[in-house]
Amino acid sequence: MKHLVRSQGIGAVIGVAVMLAVFTLLDFSGWWTVQTVSNVTQFASILAFVTMGEALVIMTKEIDLSVGSVYGLAGVSFITLEPPLGVSGSLLVALLIAALAGLVQGVAVVKGQLPSMIVTLGGLFTARGIIYVWTGGSVHNFSPDARAHPLTRLLGGELFGIEAATFWLIAIAALLGLLLWATPFGNRLLATGGGRESAESRGVRTERVKIVTFVLCSLLAGFAGILTLCNQPQTHVTLGENMELEAISAAVIGGCLLTGGRGSILGAILGALIVVSFRYELIALGAPSSWYITFVGVVLVAAVIFNQSLARRLGHSV
Amino acid sequence: MTNDHPLIQVKNLDLYFGAFHALRNVSVDFHAGELVGLVGDNGAGKTTLIRVLCGIHAPTSGEVFFDGRKVEKFHPKLAIDQGIETIQQSVGLCDNLSIARNFYLGREPVKRILGIPFLDFALMREKSARVIRQFGLRDNVSTDDEVERLSGGERQSVKIGRAVEFKNRVVIMDEPTNHLSVREREHVNELAVQLKEQGLLVIYITHDIFQVHKLADRIVIMENGAKVADASTDAMTAEELEEVIRQGGRVVEKRETA
Ligand SMILES: Nc1ncnc2c1ncn2[C@@H]1O[C@H](COP(=O)(O)OP(=O)(O)OP(=O)(O)O)[C@@H](O)[C@H]1O
Ligand SMILES: [Mg+2]
Repeated sequence: MKHLVRSQGIGAVIGVAVMLAVFTLLDFSGWWTVQTVSNVTQFASILAFVTMGEALVIMTKEIDLSVGSVYGLAGVSFITLEPPLGVSGSLLVALLIAALAGLVQGVAVVKGQLPSMIVTLGGLFTARGIIYVWTGGSVHNFSPDARAHPLTRLLGGELFGIEAATFWLIAIAALLGLLLWATPFGNRLLATGGGRESAESRGVRTERVKIVTFVLCSLLAGFAGILTLCNQPQTHVTLGENMELEAISAAVIGGCLLTGGRGSILGAILGALIVVSFRYELIALGAPSSWYITFVGVVLVAAVIFNQSLARRLGHSV
Repeated sequence: MTNDHPLIQVKNLDLYFGAFHALRNVSVDFHAGELVGLVGDNGAGKTTLIRVLCGIHAPTSGEVFFDGRKVEKFHPKLAIDQGIETIQQSVGLCDNLSIARNFYLGREPVKRILGIPFLDFALMREKSARVIRQFGLRDNVSTDDEVERLSGGERQSVKIGRAVEFKNRVVIMDEPTNHLSVREREHVNELAVQLKEQGLLVIYITHDIFQVHKLADRIVIMENGAKVADASTDAMTAEELEEVIRQGGRVVEKRETA
């Protein structure tokens, strides 16, 4: 509990509770349908992967705008490379491509001493451009064989009516949570974001920490893309567009402070749940889908106000 | 003073911050088992000099030798691995982390479970509490508390306790008694002497001339980025020392001993 307050996750917990209560009161029959709940958990799980990576990067006091494009690029690679490489081969290569994107950007930020906002904006355009050129704007599909492949089923199937992505999320989130809170790497990651100079003076190699975090973030985004396509093996060039904005919003709603050094994995997941829930509830209410982005904006600002005042009350410098 | 080769040898060190000439042709030796007072006006370059020694800044030109070997790469990790522990003046604690996490930052004790290194929280709490309490951390402050809420003196206690816990060959103290009460101050000063008697090199930066004159074997005075005096405390009274600093370092060459 103390831990949750300190890491700023409490706002997201309250947010989810309030949101569920309001949706239930407002639209019980529309919200609590199998269709809505299963869509929300599926897409919240996918967005949560991207958000967890984004949150880790924000905790190091950097930002990654390329996650949506990397998500798309990994997904497109996975589908497009399947015919020559097979499902497991293309999965591996797609993850490698994602990791490489993170590595290149991380190294550019750290070694070039460039603002990550600009470097990853470049990454966003570059990766998206590659998607356009590579696919030529056409749609690619998995063959029936590839769809039936055990790996595709493992990543995109379902169990007891719950999508595979949700199980993967639970497992990987638990690992990331442990990594962040209970290992030397996590301690150094938080130190890097909370006080880079102090961390360095204690011998922490903050540059390595940041590069590893960028790689981790891109890998998570890439894996999310692959999960999506295992579920629905069809690519389009806009795959993952604007996802960086959703991920950053979700991370902030989940309590990540852009000043670095504070945030939590649980908060990131709940933030993703809030963002996705709004999308589906608005659809369920029959509102035009374009309203969704406005609502995310309102929730985002409300969350920032809440989290900042919480931080001030706790005496954190923000 | 010992006669064997110096533990740290600085030769013709120059350091620029952009166009600003922060260290000017500094040459100085430090020996094991020595307590050296480093004094000088605000902005004289004391902190900058020791930041080169502990790997934070790389010099623009000049050489540093540690234990006879030339230092090729400057990084705090390398200095720490060589056995240089530093109480920094303005950095060293991450506000967002607990006392225990700060205490062990960069050298966290781990327990392996399935080969994965997990932080050994029990040890981190217990040991950091035991050490820091000796330096005036009150009982109502827990080592789980974030450093952000600590007072200046409490923060200083954490830094000092940490340096003592990990002391190895060199302890550099940059104005260690800042923010400390009279009692803690005496404790730190006694500690500096003890460390030296254990054979460590202690470099002690302060503005308290009279205090450091009592403690130190040797005093190095800096002014405007340059070393202007380097004299054994036997060769110069505290009053003379104060006069030199006030004069901006003129007149002292005749007392040079090194
Ligand atoms: N990172 C930096 N970038 C630019 N200038 C710097 C930097 N660090 C120090 N300086 C400058 O170098 C000069 C020497 O600073 P330094 O901190 O070494 O002084 P000091 O002798 O430790 O003083 P004090 O007794 O006030 O601590 C100052 O003029 C300071 O402004
Ligand atoms: Mg100083």
